[in-house]
Amino acid sequence: MKPRLYLALIIIPLGLILAAVPANTTHPYKLSPQDLLEHVNSGMQYFSPDEVAHMLVSKDPSLVLIDVRSEDEYEKFHLPGAINIPLSSMLEDQWKDYINQDLRYNVFYSNGTVNSNQAWMLTRQLGYQNNYVLQGGLNYWVETIINPTAPPSTSPDEEIAKYDFRKGAGQALGGGAVVESSTQPAPALPKIAPRPKKKRVEGGC
Amino acid sequence: MGPLIINDIISQNTNFFLAFIIGIGFGFVLESSGFSSSRKLAGMFYGYDTVVLKVFFTAALVAMVGLLFMSLFNWIDLDMVYINPTYLWSTIIGGAIMGAGFITGGFCPGTSFCAASIGKIDAIFFIGGMFLGIVIFAEAYPLLEPLYKGSFKGTPTLPQALGLKDGVVVLGIIIVALGMFWVGEWAEKKFPREEY
Repeated sequence: MKPRLYLALIIIPLGLILAAVPANTTHPYKLSPQDLLEHVNSGMQYFSPDEVAHMLVSKDPSLVLIDVRSEDEYEKFHLPGAINIPLSSMLEDQWKDYINQDLRYNVFYSNGTVNSNQAWMLTRQLGYQNNYVLQGGLNYWVETIINPTAPPSTSPDEEIAKYDFRKGAGQALGGGAVVESSTQPAPALPKIAPRPKKKRVEGGC
Repeated sequence: MGPLIINDIISQNTNFFLAFIIGIGFGFVLESSGFSSSRKLAGMFYGYDTVVLKVFFTAALVAMVGLLFMSLFNWIDLDMVYINPTYLWSTIIGGAIMGAGFITGGFCPGTSFCAASIGKIDAIFFIGGMFLGIVIFAEAYPLLEPLYKGSFKGTPTLPQALGLKDGVVVLGIIIVALGMFWVGEWAEKKFPREEY
């Protein structure tokens, strides 16, 4: 028999099998429970309110605040410049370019930290990088940045400096009184062009 | 689990080492199956020897079938596999230049190194020409850039373009390829050459 016939006898049945079975659409990328536990324990996913306030005050363009609460809640109050991606619609295609990117720091926040942590878990499972959680959520934000409590005057200098910063930042970011948001809903960010997947294996003749 | 490098199963250095071994194997097989003969390669264009078509298409078929089966067994995530992006104009013009060089020089870039390694002088000149071409392209890049990056199409694939399942397209390509092999062997009988 000619080699061509051998080839045909082997490869045509294989092709028939491939044509018959459903395509595999699962993504084998899975975060192992061990890895996830390590991340959670280390608290690496948290941005403290002070860090976020500092980035907001210095107008750091690498910060993207993402409000994962519902649209109603977002419209009542949201942090300056935040965009709204409700947790329930997080997996829709329109948000993919926001949560799967490697240019900026996405910081999720909700009232507490439950929903924002859920959003963070989702993005971790998907293998997306650069997503973080605002430590303590909006409640803690109000407590620390908007209405900071003065430390006792015997506190170390760092505590006092921290308080001063918080007071200043709180005023700059619309604190001091009960917050009535007058800010317009944040303009949508320019659409990030889908980047080519990094680190792919290249080849050629 | 795959691709191995992206999922940190092997390091970049191991990757280079494996690439080195595979490269040597590739060159060895090319040379031993006669790809260092420019007459054999040019035979593709005249129809007296279609081994180039058969070897490269068989490689493509094996890779295609292998990748899809590996994806089926969850051994590789096809979304992570690099797809060469399509720039339509550079593909058309580059393909024409490559084809012209192939038929006049009698080598494709890879096989020219194969032939040079066994000491063929025409292959050494071919490589010299290739470097000359690279220098000209690099120097003229500012002029050529709009053309080079013209009509970018992303990374289209046949199944996406046809709206078919990967497996169906693969079966189609297998049948078309086997048909081409048959035509190739018919051409070899039709335009025989005694020795080359």
